[in-house]
Amino acid sequence: MLEFIGPALQHLFTLENFLWINLGVFIGSVFAAIPGLSVILCVILFLPFTYRMTAIPGMMFLLGIYCAGGYGGSVSAILINTPGTPHAAATMMDGHPLSQKGRTKAALKIALYASTFGGVFSALMLLFLGPQVAQVAAQLGTAEYFMVCLFGLTIIAGVSGKSMIKGIIAACIGLLISCIGADPMTSYDRFTFGVQRLYLGLDLAICLIGLFALVEVLAKAEKKPGQLILDSKKMNDNGKITKDEFKRMVRPTILSSIIGVLVGIIPGTGASEASWFSYDRAKAMSKHKEEFGHGSVEGIAAAESANNAVTGATLVPLLTMGIPGDGTVAIMLSALMINGLNPGLSLFTTQGDIMYAIMIGLIFVNLFMLLQGTFLTQLFAKVVSIPQEILTPIIVLFCFAGAYSVNKNYFDVGVALIFAVIAWLLRKLEMPPVPILLGMVLGNMTETNFRRALLISNGSPKIFVSSIYCIIFIVLTVLAVATLIRSKMKEGREGTKK
Amino acid sequence: MEGKQSWMDRMDKKRDEIGEKLEKKEINLPIDLITGALFLLIGILTLLVMPGQVKVSDTDVVNGRAFPTLLMVVMMICSGIVLLKELYSVFIKKQPLTTKKVNLLIEVKALEILAILVLTYVICKVTDLFVIGAVFCSLGFLVYFRCKKKSYYAITVTVAVLIWVAFRFGLGVAF
Repeated sequence: MLEFIGPALQHLFTLENFLWINLGVFIGSVFAAIPGLSVILCVILFLPFTYRMTAIPGMMFLLGIYCAGGYGGSVSAILINTPGTPHAAATMMDGHPLSQKGRTKAALKIALYASTFGGVFSALMLLFLGPQVAQVAAQLGTAEYFMVCLFGLTIIAGVSGKSMIKGIIAACIGLLISCIGADPMTSYDRFTFGVQRLYLGLDLAICLIGLFALVEVLAKAEKKPGQLILDSKKMNDNGKITKDEFKRMVRPTILSSIIGVLVGIIPGTGASEASWFSYDRAKAMSKHKEEFGHGSVEGIAAAESANNAVTGATLVPLLTMGIPGDGTVAIMLSALMINGLNPGLSLFTTQGDIMYAIMIGLIFVNLFMLLQGTFLTQLFAKVVSIPQEILTPIIVLFCFAGAYSVNKNYFDVGVALIFAVIAWLLRKLEMPPVPILLGMVLGNMTETNFRRALLISNGSPKIFVSSIYCIIFIVLTVLAVATLIRSKMKEGREGTKK
Repeated sequence: MEGKQSWMDRMDKKRDEIGEKLEKKEINLPIDLITGALFLLIGILTLLVMPGQVKVSDTDVVNGRAFPTLLMVVMMICSGIVLLKELYSVFIKKQPLTTKKVNLLIEVKALEILAILVLTYVICKVTDLFVIGAVFCSLGFLVYFRCKKKSYYAITVTVAVLIWVAFRFGLGVAF
């Protein structure tokens, strides 16, 4: 590890990298602050930009968006009682009441400090855990890798929507889409229907623009036009946090950061789960339970540190095994792979200088987030009230320009539009889109390992139960499915009672 | 602007009339029944077209059809479960179908937005000049949102042109 630190720092400390980090942090904060725009949407829109960059600036830019998105969501949650991103909902519980008490700046500061701590803690965990997990992952063969993919897909399909079965169907659709184009082992074309452009497959970024971005534009039909008004007088407090408040922030911040890391490592779970779980824990352990829901400093600190602590942790399974911890980092995988960085032990050995530069860079992303949050929060607050009449066409134009720029043809823009319509129809059927994304990301890896394993065993499926790792992942998959079914049944029973 | 306003007012009035009629019209979609049947059908169709779409070699131990076939089998089993679960609850448990209310007004509005998107795409493709489509798109959405503020028109069109400039001259995307 130490031998990579020097070259990694040399790669990282360039003006270009720091500019991209700051641009990413700024864009991420702005996007997340606007209710209705998500971090995943922002990463999708700006992914095509990174195709022209090398690995480090590209990843720094995307990680800047990703991490700042964790904090940015809290701005509108605190200011106007509307979470900018779903995971900021827990922050809203105490952030807005504190703002109503005339302490808006203080609430924003608490959220910023807690977010930064959670983010830096998570980045450090990635730095130390990543190489260790990669060592274990290196012992996995093709059959084991297939079981890992299966495990990841099952959990993600299970937690993504109301119905686990619909999640699995969606994952199958995503996996099938990944089969379009050249066969990864024989190069024969598959499901191209004579369309030559499909031979290279469907580009992930283009499909995601339709599935996640353009469909949100269609969803504007469901909302009545209106503007969120921000009262600028709200931010006139001095923003001072007392010593006692600082002391009270320490325990929930540390504990929630640990929870955030643990939740983030598990594929399929994400910032929302971490922030709500941490919020509940902080409430249960607090000496000032009565303050929760009425502007508790501990509540804000717990929720914010947890949702930012997820950011580095989700990269652990991504960088070591290629299994994304959540939907947003799944998109980042394509930014990595386009630069020839394939997840696994080799990332930490042969390409260690680049990988360590990215992991150390994540610490700086959080520090720049602290810097921008300190000086630019007033500006982030103002964007909350950008009217959707202006915002919607801008999103569409970024989608179209982004889709076109990937391969420089309008065929891809058409594909993005088709995916938007498909996503709209799937929404009507209450089918979650995230398993489709994960299916598309993991498709190639799942199929290649599945076929290679069968090739090694001469077609015998016994290979999938031949090693201890395979059995561990089968047991984990069965346990996960059983737990998910149980919790869904419990939810169903509670729903019937109500 | 007077002429434009009256033109927009007339269109908004017409949209209001149609909207009033459609707002109360709702369709109950049997979503689980549709999901089960639709994906079962997709699975069958995929399996049927597979021989024509996926070439294989006789020497392959595991060919290119194996994985998609496995996927479609899993998908068809899941679709079957969704379908059977729904039929069981309707015919055996005598429970109503799982439905979702779909408001016609929302669907028509979504179609309006889709029309703006498709027209933007067509304009960009036909003219091969993104900026023309971009300006159309901006104006289209402002009209859709019934915007009457001149400043919004100026801001949005300017931003549309700036996006084109950024991609065209900043990133070198020739469109």
